[in-house]
Amino acid sequence: MIPSSDSRFDRVTIIFLVLVAFGFIVATFDVRSDEDGVANVMREGTQSILTPLQKGVNWVANPVVGFIDGVSNIAGLRDENDRLRAQLTEAEAQVRETLALEEKVAALELISGLTVSKDLTTVTARIYSSGPTAFDNVRYIDKGAKDGVVAGQAVVDEDGLVGRVELVSANDARIRLITDPVVSVGVRVQTTNETGIVSGRGGGPLQLEMFRAKQPVYEGALVVTDGSRFPPGIVVGNVVTTEKAEVGFVLRTDVDPAAQLSKIDFVKVILGWSPVDATVDQDDTVVSNTSSSSRSTTTTTLDDGGDG
Amino acid sequence: MTRSRVAIALLAVVLAIVVQTTIFSPGRIQPLGVAPALVTLVVVLVAPYLEPEYHLLLGFTAGILLDLVGSGTLGIWAMTMTGVAYIAMRIRMRFAQNALVAVAVVFALTVLGQLMFVLLSTLFGQNTIAEPALLSKILLPALWNMILALPLIWLFKTVFKPSDRVWAT
Repeated sequence: MIPSSDSRFDRVTIIFLVLVAFGFIVATFDVRSDEDGVANVMREGTQSILTPLQKGVNWVANPVVGFIDGVSNIAGLRDENDRLRAQLTEAEAQVRETLALEEKVAALELISGLTVSKDLTTVTARIYSSGPTAFDNVRYIDKGAKDGVVAGQAVVDEDGLVGRVELVSANDARIRLITDPVVSVGVRVQTTNETGIVSGRGGGPLQLEMFRAKQPVYEGALVVTDGSRFPPGIVVGNVVTTEKAEVGFVLRTDVDPAAQLSKIDFVKVILGWSPVDATVDQDDTVVSNTSSSSRSTTTTTLDDGGDG
Repeated sequence: MTRSRVAIALLAVVLAIVVQTTIFSPGRIQPLGVAPALVTLVVVLVAPYLEPEYHLLLGFTAGILLDLVGSGTLGIWAMTMTGVAYIAMRIRMRFAQNALVAVAVVFALTVLGQLMFVLLSTLFGQNTIAEPALLSKILLPALWNMILALPLIWLFKTVFKPSDRVWAT
């Protein structure tokens, strides 16, 4: 029995149009609203409802998913083993290089006037869920306000910067990955000590923009946070393509994120740092005497890190 | 009867979101780096079992939930899923009796849904159209949905029972 009625379809089409119009209005409001808008309250509410379900599904599915993952990877394990051995040799060489670089970084920090507390407080969190579609660059972690997490804090893993905390509830938080187009991070290219901004593109390599670059950046150059919004010295990634600075033009190149964003399980949220912790090392008298150099450098750095 | 069907469909949508954000999240099961679009799959396949008005509302609700859990602008998935639900509802008589046609419809509507989202989010300033690997983000979920469609068609037939099907139009 398939009854058909034009008026019924008309009514359905009207409902469809009303819903689409409503969606359009909601989207417009969301674009116009600030970060503390109603939309974020709704997001927090929805997440707090879904969190127990997501944790339950994880608890049930983790062993099965792990087993499937293990079986599907068994063929590639031998190759992986060889690759890891090669990487270990390379890493040992890099450790030696890093020790030398650390000395250089300390010297550069001294030059730029920044000192950072070495014992930053961090909290380790587990990622228990992600955004629902391939276009989402968010992860949910099992640590929240009760653990000292607040919006804006840097999130790292053992390889480097992962993202920043966006929404926080009592026991959970949402982090926006550095690959998200709305995230911009103030950075410093370690080889040249010049600053720029790294922005996400929704996936793949990040975009590095340097507005006052005088020197070229070379493939493989390490890019670290500049201390404007996040603690300085956190590895962001490596330059993919060598690019030269043209006079009057912005230097643009790609940066491969250091963190394996598609494979992260655990992250650390840096709690004990805010931009004011990056203090000018000289006393006021010295700064005023060298205002055209050290002071302006510090101020520029802070401005560049306008995190989105 | 309508209420129970709507409740089951809503439960299926919530379950789809939970599974999507946990089991099919990055680092877990994501063949070729992209997960299926389970919510779209559910919204398309429940079309034969719901009244058109309820089906549209289900599509809108599913979209709003996707928006709330995701990172994009609120309302974009809502518009997208309402569109997908509307088309699925209009052509449901063509695919309700034939599983192979249903699989093809699932593929087509998933691609359409992903495309609509890309266009709408670009319209709202997210520049999604410039994202790397855009084609695979549009096509691969549709491909995985095709594979998952057959068991889900069987599941919905069992849960809703053939006699419960509503031919309201």
